[in-house]
Formats: sequence, structure tokens, C-alpha cells
Amino acid sequence: MKKSLRRAAASGLAILIATLVLFPIVDITVEDCLVRTTPFVLCGLAVAVPARAGLVNIGGEGQFTFAMVVVTATVLLVGDTIDAFLLLPLLAVAGLLGGAVWAGIAGLLRVTVKLNEALSTLLLNFVSPLILAYFVFGPWRDRSSFNLPVSKPYPDAAQLPTFGLTQVHLGIVLAVVAAVLAWAVLDFTRWGFTVRVVGGNPEAARRAGLPVNRIVFVALLIGGALAGLAGMIEVTGVERVLRPNIGVGFGYIGFLASWLVGHRPLELLASSFLLASISVTGDSLQINAGLPSTSVYVLMAVVLLLVLAIRGLITRSKAD
Amino acid sequence: MLLEDVLAGTVRSGISVLYAAEGELISERSGVINLGMEGCMLTGALAAFATASATGSLLLGVLAAAGGGALLALVHAVVVITCRANQLASGLAVSFLGLGLTSWLGAPYVSQSISPLNRVNIPVLSAVPFAGPVLFQHDVLTYMGLALGPLIWLFLYRTRAGLILRATGEDGAVAFAYGHSPTLVRYLAVVFGGMLAALGGAQLVLAYTLNWVENITVGRGFVAVALVIFAGWEPLRATVGAFVFGGSLALQLRLQARGVDVSPFLLNMAPYVLTLAILVIASRGRARRPPGEIRAVFGTSGPGSTRSAVDA
Repeated sequence: MKKSLRRAAASGLAILIATLVLFPIVDITVEDCLVRTTPFVLCGLAVAVPARAGLVNIGGEGQFTFAMVVVTATVLLVGDTIDAFLLLPLLAVAGLLGGAVWAGIAGLLRVTVKLNEALSTLLLNFVSPLILAYFVFGPWRDRSSFNLPVSKPYPDAAQLPTFGLTQVHLGIVLAVVAAVLAWAVLDFTRWGFTVRVVGGNPEAARRAGLPVNRIVFVALLIGGALAGLAGMIEVTGVERVLRPNIGVGFGYIGFLASWLVGHRPLELLASSFLLASISVTGDSLQINAGLPSTSVYVLMAVVLLLVLAIRGLITRSKAD
Repeated sequence: MLLEDVLAGTVRSGISVLYAAEGELISERSGVINLGMEGCMLTGALAAFATASATGSLLLGVLAAAGGGALLALVHAVVVITCRANQLASGLAVSFLGLGLTSWLGAPYVSQSISPLNRVNIPVLSAVPFAGPVLFQHDVLTYMGLALGPLIWLFLYRTRAGLILRATGEDGAVAFAYGHSPTLVRYLAVVFGGMLAALGGAQLVLAYTLNWVENITVGRGFVAVALVIFAGWEPLRATVGAFVFGGSLALQLRLQARGVDVSPFLLNMAPYVLTLAILVIASRGRARRPPGEIRAVFGTSGPGSTRSAVDA
């Protein structure tokens, strides 16, 4: 407990210093960064929770996207008849379910035919954007949109409330709550302990009588659900309309955020904020310097490779 | 001739994945999974395109591709072999490094096009009806790709170097005990694998698309990694897998061209769904054991895991 708090404090300090350097140089606001932090935290948790059970979920990207399709279907179905107090929780459930279903495919393949989840989740990332495109180019295309591939705008009741006059929406609160919950559940509950046992040594867990397959499956479902929640928040809090390319790369950046901090939920808040600052910087570079949006991946990949290399060297020298 | 058309298209669109799959196979047979193949393919594709359009020489383009792919794979090799970081995370990061670098550096090339690699019709054989257009009216890179599966099979099972490679992938400690350096073998295998993937990228732009767009490979490198598992780490089966993928691409394009009344987005899913399906089929059949060192990576990919193999 003490150790993890100390680690969290250390990474908080690191972020503070990094942002103090970053913010004056480039023209970005804390507001934008907080908005961007939200999906990164949730997509990071989508990696961190399964990772504790020894799983590699690279599918946050696809789970995020599929959830947006499910959320939009719900909005189109009942959005005009229900008021916000009921509709928003309903949409959150739709997002959680959508993400869980998409991760569930990989989970099912893993526990039935032992197909490695890193590969199946990765391949599924290429499928759900096509489902989204099918709907917005086809049945859901808004006729008043000058033929752009977008859905009807979300009704007011289906929009996440924002704080005051800022762009910052309720999502950041949900993300922080989710991170704290994940930390508490993984580190301090019975179930969290069994997850870590399975992740540490599945064979030992099996011999100890733990239902390994069920734990693995549930961990992946929870991961998918969290990525789905991120999709729901992004589409109801920022975009308020379904279109292609919402949040492209968020799932992969969440993967990076989680690996940066060794899959520890509290520190994930810090790494997500740092990556959000880089990502928002990337946006402004894209607008101001005309760079393609994917070039921000270069910076992120270099950061991850350095962290992986350094951490690897440290564990190596300890082992020798 | 729909069938002839589709089969010729199968060869042309499957070859790039075939290169990447055989490259990944070499790398995995030495004990290193490389999810960075997507990045290597992209690097190869852009290097080939940029060099070919600047110099007009397709040969220089192919060489530049090989160099670029080798360099990117070297990054992965350093991080996982020397620093012993998690292979899946490092590979994914390398893929994103490739994606980011190529979309940044490739931006000026987006609207350009180049002249294709020369088709070389094989004398006599290319005139054979049906088989001719399908197999013997292609470019040099495609012929090389067709020969790749058998060549790698020969290398793995009929040469001493191939034996050392397989031994290293099965158990690095044993190879070390017999006086070979697992580190060196793995470095060579990973870099060579990245080079092959990059040649696949080069074939993609020089013989197939003839232009450059951001993220032109759309997951082919990842599909290649999947195909290696489907193939049970056997080069000839990997060839078959690559052509199944190429076939679904070719068929889907042909159907779209014929104006079949199915949304193109749904048709575009076919190659990925099919790849998943053949992975499922492969895992249901007689399960093939992955190389020993790979099993360690797939088994413990949790936090803080490092491989315990004895490296020199």
C-alpha cells in the first residue's frame, strides 16, 4: 500500500515536471488535455486489468469502436423518447456491453480453442471500423449532412454534461473513479488476488483449484467493457455524432500508457495525462505545421521503446 | 475468365503477405516474435516507392526497402534480445514507429504514382493456358516470393545453419551449450525477417498498388504474424496461408468490380475474418507446438515477465 502510494506520488511529480516544461513551449490547454486523458485512462485500464491475469489485450481500439456503434444504435432507437437521467446510464451500459462483446469474441476463442488473445484482438481491430463505416455510409447516414458519412447528431439528452463553460465533461470523473476502483479491486480483494495468481503462474493456479479459464475470460470482458465505456464517453461527450475515424489510435495509446506504468491503475492516470499532452500537441502540430496526425505515433513509440529497454535492462541486471 | 483473373490476383496480392509471413517465421524459429512486421512492411513500401520515384531505378528501390526494413527490425532486436523487454509490447511499438515515420516522411509522395516493375513473361510456360497468366506472367519480386517457401524449407531442414536456427528457437541454452551464440543467431534472424517483410512492402507498392498512401498495408504485417501460427511454423504451410489471404482479397476486389450488391465495407472485412477463421481451424486440428522459446513468451506475457533463457 505504502509502496504503491509512493510510486503514484513519484509518477505524479514526474508528470508535473514534464507538463511544466511542455505547456509553456507548445500552445495547448489543460482543458484539452483533460478531455483527451479520459479515453486514454479507460483504454489503458482495458489493457491493465487483463494484463494482471497474464493477458495481452491489444484490442482496445476495436472494442472502443464497436461500442460507439452499439451506443449510436441505442440513441437512434430510444434517444428521442427517454430523458437524460435515464438515457445516459442506458448508453453507458450499451457502451460497456458493446466493448465486452467485442472482447468476448477473443475471450471465447482463447478459452475454447486456446487462440492467443493478442492476435485475435489485434485482427478484430481491423473489423469494427468497417462495421462503423458500413452504418454511417449506409443506413445511418444523415440526409441533411450534405452527403457526409455522419449519423444524425445526438439529441441533447444523449450528451454528457460538461463542467461550467469548459469542454471538460463528466467522463474524466468516470475515468478517475474507474482507475481507483480497478486499483482497489485488483490489489485488495479476493478476486483481484486470484487474478494476479493466474497472471503469475497459470499452472500453479490450476493446481490450486482456481477456475483459470473463467478468470481469464472475465478479466478480458472487463477490459473490453472499459474500452467500450471510453467509446461511449468520447461519442457522447466530445463528438455527439457518429462518424468514421473517431478516436483513431486511442486504443493503442491506452496500450502504451498501461505498459509505461507496468499496468498499475493509479499511475496510469499520470501516464495517460502525459500522453494526452503529447497527443494534443500532435493535434496542434497537425493543424499548424501540416503534419499527418499519425506522426505523433513516432514520439509515443520512441517513449515506449525506451521505457521497455530501460526496464528490461534493470530486471536483467537484477536477475544476473 | 473470372477464375483465372481471381487466381492471378491471388498471387499478386498474396505475395506481400507471403514475404512478411516467411520473415516472421524465420524470426520466430529463432525464438523471437516480431509484431513489428507491419512497421517493417510500411518502411519497405515507402523506401521502395520514394527511392524508385527519385532515382527511377526499381532495383535501388528494392535495396532501399531491404535496408529500411532491416534497420527497423534491428530496433526490435536490441530491445528484446539485448534488453530482454516483452516481445509483444516492443513489436507493437516498432509497428507504430514504422507507421508514424512513414506517414510523416511519406506525406509528399501521396499523390504521386510510379511505373510498375517490369512484367517478365517466362518463355514457353507463360503461354500455357490458365497456368500461364496465373503463375508465369509476373514481376521479379513476385517470382522470388513464389520461390521463398521452398527455399526457406530447404534452409531450415537441409542446412546446418537452419539446424542451429531451429535449435536456438527450441532452447537457447542447448544451442549455447553446443557452442553457438543464441544472441547472434537471433539478431541475424530478426534482422533478416524484417528485411523480408520490407521486400513484401516493396512488392506491394512497386507491383500492386503503384502508389503510396498512409498506412498502405492496413494490417498485412499483423496478418502475417497470425499466418505463421496457422502454418504451425512450417514455411510451406505459410505459403498456403498467404495465398488464402491473397485469394480473399482478390475475390473481394473482383466482386466489387462486378458491382455485387454487398456493401464494400462488409466485403473488406473478409480477409481479417477469414484469417481469424483459419487460426481457429488451425488450432482445432492436430495442435502444432510452437518453438520452445516462443512458448515462453506466449505463456507469460504478464507484467514484468522476462524470459529466463540463458543468453550469452
